[in-house]
This record gives sequence, C-alpha cells and structure tokens, in this order.
Amino acid sequence: MSRPKTALSVINEAHADHPGDGLTSVRSSGLRGGQHLSLATASAVLAVEGVSKTFQLNGKALTVLSDFSLAVSKGEFISIVGSSGCGKSTLLRLIAGLDSSYDGNIVWLGEQVSGTSLDRGLVFQEHRLFPWLTVEQNVALALESSGLTQQEIDARVKHQIELVGLSGFAQAYPHQISGGMSQRVAIARALVLKPRLLLLDEPFGALDALTRLKMQQELQRLWETEGTTSILVTHDVEEAVFLGDRVVVMEANPGRIKRVVDVDLPRPRHRTSAEFQHIKDDVLSDFIEIS
Amino acid sequence: MTRDWKQFFPFLISPFLLLVVWWWVAAAGWYSDDVLVSPGAVVATLEELTANGELALHLKASFFRLLTGFGLGALTGVLFGIWMAISPRVEAFALPLFQGLRQVPTIALIPILILLLGVDEIFKVIIVTKAAFLTVALAAYDATKGVSKNYFEVARIYHLPKTTLYRKLIIPAITPPVFTGLRIAFSRSWTILVAAELLAADSGIGQMMQLGREMFRLDVVMVGVVITGLVGFSIDKLFKWAEIRLIPWQAAVKA
Repeated sequence: MSRPKTALSVINEAHADHPGDGLTSVRSSGLRGGQHLSLATASAVLAVEGVSKTFQLNGKALTVLSDFSLAVSKGEFISIVGSSGCGKSTLLRLIAGLDSSYDGNIVWLGEQVSGTSLDRGLVFQEHRLFPWLTVEQNVALALESSGLTQQEIDARVKHQIELVGLSGFAQAYPHQISGGMSQRVAIARALVLKPRLLLLDEPFGALDALTRLKMQQELQRLWETEGTTSILVTHDVEEAVFLGDRVVVMEANPGRIKRVVDVDLPRPRHRTSAEFQHIKDDVLSDFIEIS
Repeated sequence: MTRDWKQFFPFLISPFLLLVVWWWVAAAGWYSDDVLVSPGAVVATLEELTANGELALHLKASFFRLLTGFGLGALTGVLFGIWMAISPRVEAFALPLFQGLRQVPTIALIPILILLLGVDEIFKVIIVTKAAFLTVALAAYDATKGVSKNYFEVARIYHLPKTTLYRKLIIPAITPPVFTGLRIAFSRSWTILVAAELLAADSGIGQMMQLGREMFRLDVVMVGVVITGLVGFSIDKLFKWAEIRLIPWQAAVKA
C-alpha cells in the first residue's frame, strides 16, 4: 500500500490527466520517438532514446531492437511484456551495461551508460548463484567491490536475507534449496547493494505457476519497502500488469514498442478484480484474440 | 552386517572368480609351474619379499619417482592449463602443439628420453612429469574454458576484483574437472612409471618384475603385477574419496 513518497508523487503527476475510475484509466499511448520523450525526460532517471541493436548472424544483419524509446521516472515500476524474440532481454542487457554496442542513447542519471555499474542491479532468468558458495556468501559477493567493512557487509547481508525470508538458510548451498528460494537469493544479491535501478530479466520464468504467484507478491512487497526503480521483463501478461505502473507492450521482428499501457490500480492489486481483468485482457489482446 | 555383505558382494564376485580360474588352470597342470605360477606360490613369494624388505625398497623407489614427477607435472600443468585458457596469445601458441602431443603415447617417447637423459633417476621422473603435465594441463584448460559465461556476467555486474574472480569463481568452478584430470593423470603416471622401470632402472617395482623375468622367477613378476594393480586401485579410490570431501557441492551438481 505505502509506496515511497517520491515515487507516488511522480506517478500521480503522470496520471493527473487521467482521473482513474479503473476502466477509463486504461490508456494506451503509441509511444514513438521524440515528442513524447521530451515531456517525460525531465523527471526521468533513465532515458532510453531511439535505441537499436543489430546482431550479425551467419553474415546477415539481424535487427533485434529497433528505435526503442522509454523514459523511466524515479521509483517507477516498468513491466516490459512481449513474446520471445522481441528483444526485451537484449534491452535489459544494454541498460545493465553488459553490452555496449548499440545505436541510440541510454542515459542513466544524466550520463551515457557504458559498462556495468553497482548502481544498476540485474536479476537473470536463471538464478546464477555460485554453487560452491553458501546463500550468505553468494549475497555477500555483490558487496566485494562496495568498499564496505566486513562488519557492514555481514550486517547488510543478514538483513537482506531476512528481507527475502531466508534467514534459516544462510548457510545452505544453492543445491540444497528450491528454485524459488534460489531466485529469492538472486534478488537479495541484487538488492543488497541498494541499487537505484533494479533490472529483472524474466526472473520467475523458470518457476512453477504457484511459486511464481508467491514470488510476484514478494517482489511487490520488496519494491514497496525499498522503492527501487525497477524494470521487469516478462512474457507473462498477468505478472506485467500485477507489478507494473506501466506496461510496455513489445512486438517482434524487429523488436519495438507497440504501445504503453498505464496500470492505475491501487496496490496491492487483486488479480480477480474487474479492473485488473480488464487491463489484463486489454494487454492480452495484443497477443491473442479474446472473444 | 547383512547390508554390508550385500553391498560388497557384487564387487567381490569378479576378483574371486578370476582367482578361482587362475588357481584352477594352474592346478590342472597344463602349464609348467615355472610359467603359470599358482596363487598360493605368489602369496608365498609376496610374504618372502615383504619379510626381506625387498618389496618395500622397490616400492619406496617407485613412489619417490611417482610423487616427485606427478607433483611437478600436476602443479605446472594446472597453472599452464589455466594460463592457456585465459590468455589468447598463449592459447594460439601452445594449443595446437598440445593437441598434437596428446596423441603421442608417452611410452613412445621412452627411447628418445633414454638417449637424451640416460637411464638415471631423472629420466623416470621426467617421463612421469610429462605424462602428468599434459593430462592435467589439458584438463585445466578445458575446465577453465568451460566455466559458464553466465558466471562471468555476474562477475561483471558486481565488479568483482580480479582476486575474487579467481578465488570465488574460476578456481572453485574448475576444481571438479581438474580433480578428475588429476585422478586420470595419476593413474597414467603410475602406469608409465612401471613401464619405464621395466625398460631401464636399477630399482622400483617395474625393475623388480624385469629382474624376475630375466631370472625366470615368474612368481616375482606376478607379485609385481598384483602390487601394481593394488597400488593403482587404491590411489584411484583415494582420489575419489578426497573428491567427495573437498568438493561438497559437486555431488548435487552432478545429480
């Protein structure tokens, strides 16, 4: 319920011209190019401007991302939804700084992104925990370059593990815990640095449906306590609507934005409510025919 | 008690059968006693060689060469293998030669090495070193190359310092395959050492067998065969035992 103040105000401003009664607040904007950007960039912590990415595949150029633009405000939760191959994971890798060859601009806190930064955390689809380190050691790994003292590291790791509800498992190895727990450790590893931007690349994609629901609730709770600006990439429309302040719908070949849907529902959201269903169906209609 | 028996029973069948066939063929009298020695005679000789300290002397000589050669080869092999995997330049220079050399059986190098190094201690140590080095270096190279790039991306995301990269990623990640390489290398080293001692040595388990053959004491040769097998088997088991204890996460990763 209680979102951090800054995030709340930013988002309220963005929605000021759409007084929500639930149904009418479902707004789609054909986000394209510059004119929209100039409006949003002012308060944006992250500005993605006209980003294109081309891979060379067997000597042929393959455009996976074409002219992608998006401005993200402080504290905002953005969901990016699209079928596989629409370039959504590539986009996250570019924002994370894992891949620096692209056209266009990615501006984070006023500076062009080049290389990775401890400011920007990334959670992968696979948990990518080191199997030879315990839960605690895996989380502490993120703080190796933080310059904190061992005492501070210990305290922060302990606190972060508590936050994701794994206190009893600090000494366990990844193979001794479930897939859902491993992914919680991966999220703890990303959050322990207190990044100002959290990138989530289909973090629950490999989990079973029930665990996934639980993890979505948990992520929502974490986001509300920490207020971290977040971008979630997913192919699960319900997940995107449940978590996102805005849902960016992407289409493939080449990967580009189809539209951006505002989700102006109070949190925590109820998946069964008519408003939620309406927005979900609206987004789903981009992918399948709904009779 | 019953469970122990059931657990060990299958492992005991085949050695036991072999022993029975050996004993039976020897007892049947098809071969002269001098050519096919009976198990009983081998045990008697083993007792004799143990009692007069001869076996211990030979084993000591062999183990010294084995441990020195293997230690040298394994240590340099691990370091060189990692280096070759990490440095594209070293890889470009050394890998083709390595891939070629691995196809040449070490035993084929024995004549050349004898000419170059003579038949002294250094020759036996060097040949063991060479056998261990190649096997271990290639295992370390393959293992380092095989570390998932996913993990290196995690390292980039968290700006892991170089020492951490080695201490908490590369070394633990390559430990299980390198350990397997060490195990194989050790058994190769042992085999090649016995072979080298058969050809040229003044002591060692291989030389003991060679001397036995020259004096037509095939019971001594058979003692050597049995001891060689037992030593190799025990060392292999020792490596496996150590592997489980040193790499606790490995069992689950394999499963």
